[in-house]
Amino acid sequence: MRGEIQHLILRIRFLAAKSGGVYNTKKIHLRGLDMRNILRILLVLSVLITGVPAYAAIDGTQLLKQIDRNLNPESYEMYRKLINVEPNGRKMEYTFFSVKKGLDKLAGVFLAPASDKGRSTLRLGDNMWLYIPNVGKPIRITSLQSVIGGVFNNADILSLDYAAEYNVEKVEEKGNEYFLQLKAKTKMVAYDRLNLWADKNKKLPVKIECLTEAGMLIKTLYFKEIKDFGGGIVRPSVIETDSPLYKGYKSIMIFAKIKQRDFKDEVFTLTFMPNIESLR
Amino acid sequence: MKIAFLFFLTWAIIFLGSFAFAEEEYKFDLSEIEKKPYHFGGYVELRPVLFGLDRDASLYKLKLFNRDEGKTIEEYNGKLQLEGSFEKGIARLFVRTNFDLKYSYLGWEHNDPQRMIYEGYLSLKPSPSLTFKLGKQTLLWGKGYAFNPVAFVSRPKDPDDPELALEGYITASVDYIKSFQGPLKTASITPVIFPVYKDVNDDFGTVNRLNFAGKLYLLLYDTDIDLMAMTGGSRTSRVGMDFSKNITTNLEVHGEFAFINNQRKKVIDSQGNISEAKFDAKSYLLGIRYLTASDTTFIFEYYRNGTGFSHLEIKDYFTFIDKGYDLFLSKGNDSLLKKAASVTEGNYGRINPSKDYLYLRISQKEPFNILYFTPAITTIMNLNDRSLSISPELLYTGIKNLEIRLKAIGLLGGRGTEFGEKQNDYRIELRVRYYF
Repeated sequence: MRGEIQHLILRIRFLAAKSGGVYNTKKIHLRGLDMRNILRILLVLSVLITGVPAYAAIDGTQLLKQIDRNLNPESYEMYRKLINVEPNGRKMEYTFFSVKKGLDKLAGVFLAPASDKGRSTLRLGDNMWLYIPNVGKPIRITSLQSVIGGVFNNADILSLDYAAEYNVEKVEEKGNEYFLQLKAKTKMVAYDRLNLWADKNKKLPVKIECLTEAGMLIKTLYFKEIKDFGGGIVRPSVIETDSPLYKGYKSIMIFAKIKQRDFKDEVFTLTFMPNIESLR
Repeated sequence: MKIAFLFFLTWAIIFLGSFAFAEEEYKFDLSEIEKKPYHFGGYVELRPVLFGLDRDASLYKLKLFNRDEGKTIEEYNGKLQLEGSFEKGIARLFVRTNFDLKYSYLGWEHNDPQRMIYEGYLSLKPSPSLTFKLGKQTLLWGKGYAFNPVAFVSRPKDPDDPELALEGYITASVDYIKSFQGPLKTASITPVIFPVYKDVNDDFGTVNRLNFAGKLYLLLYDTDIDLMAMTGGSRTSRVGMDFSKNITTNLEVHGEFAFINNQRKKVIDSQGNISEAKFDAKSYLLGIRYLTASDTTFIFEYYRNGTGFSHLEIKDYFTFIDKGYDLFLSKGNDSLLKKAASVTEGNYGRINPSKDYLYLRISQKEPFNILYFTPAITTIMNLNDRSLSISPELLYTGIKNLEIRLKAIGLLGGRGTEFGEKQNDYRIELRVRYYF
């Protein structure tokens, strides 16, 4: 209760600052009202109007940003194994090294299998490129395309922070989970809508449904096996994906060696694409 | 019968392969991602080809005038491409070699040992912004998929197989990259020193010349823009630009423009008179790449080849070959055919000799939920004479490190047209490639 009131105070301070109101760290003076009085009035009004205490409202955007940070540092390097599993149990595995900087810069390179080794991808906001060593020059690709076969597409492999690409339309508590309905900020985002279930205590995703604008389910991501990667990164180490478009097929992403690391901006350029492996 | 055998072979490899790897377990062993200072890899390829000959075509007459190989000929191709690298500190040594072996009606052949090294260079990268490269390297410029009029410092690619690795040239180059905030996100500059001397890039153009080339790349308003130029005397001076941009998540547009100063071409008329034309050539390309909701990719390009021959010039060339063939049949005299051959290599015989082309490739990723299976159909049309090639293909990559492609090419066109006068009516090939 105390923590939630504290959160509300901080939120009002934030809104006052945003609207140009004058405040100091101890008190807010708006039209001569004391901060404590404002809080009392707001609490009483909210209970009278909605019958629900105002401190129960959740800031969806902040929550989504928190989920993003709990998943990865803002700038990082990581290794992933991508596995496509067919209905008959046959598997294809890919090993991928990726680096990210800030909100919208991401680059990666396939390390295995031999047929895909050296293929590198780059994402700068909504721009994506693929470099194939044999072809020898980067080509523009779209987020819906797939650089490998199977259920994963480029947007899954080169995913940015959710808060960078989506607005929170609705957030609610469902038992031990938060349920967030997200809407893409632009038409350039691969999935127009996401339904995200997150663990309330850990603030980590449990399940994400990816939907089209019309609400058709494209795929579901299940976040599993929480692991301590060191450096304060504790997050699911496995993402399992299935899709009604690929009935019986499953894709699995296993994470390893996630660590915070800073890179120069020049790493995230077309000209640098053939050299991404040198960052390892 | 031979076609049926190729189909059977494809099916057998896919069917047996899917069982061979069915029991494999998956795990993420951290030793798999341990970085080593060296790397060795490559692929081995087998490619049997069946050609259906067009015995009335001019290029059949030019090449096979004194032989009778029947209606079809077979060819068995093998390729071994090896690559290795060694990295220490800021230095990296990279080598890619290519060995081609062919068995055809001419017997066994392999590529020239001097041309087996496709790339071999030393690179120094003191910072992510700066890279120096010295040695044989492939510098592919341009945004076009099938054609690249601005590829000033590389060998022409084959529009029938644009993703094939190309042999490079011996050059020295620098990449300097700078990132920015705002509408201009990236700028990079690549100056290139391109020597052409005896035994050094001497197939590029006039020898004993030191050429200079350069490319400026900008990512401006989410658009890739390149400006490039080359001068030095081995080839005439040229400048160019290209661009590429995603309009929506599933639509990309690209284009190229090249201006070539004092371009020369040898023209032969129907009587065999050879003249040399000198002119300023403008070549350009406009293209799109479009992905539908059902994962069908369309690549469509229009290419204006300013250095190409007109329909009439190409028709005259074929008419002269036909005359030469008639002379050979009547008197056993092959002098006219030899004369025609002398203007073929690097001239009428080059890839895309004509002026206007349309390219369309439609590929469908994993139809009917068949993973790793991509059927595609490609057509290249000569707009000047309305002849064309059509190539359906089936690609399967569902077996680890194995790539299987069955491809057919049909050539359609009347007499005197580019595709109608090619040596073959059709070609069917199976390509099996194993990466290691």
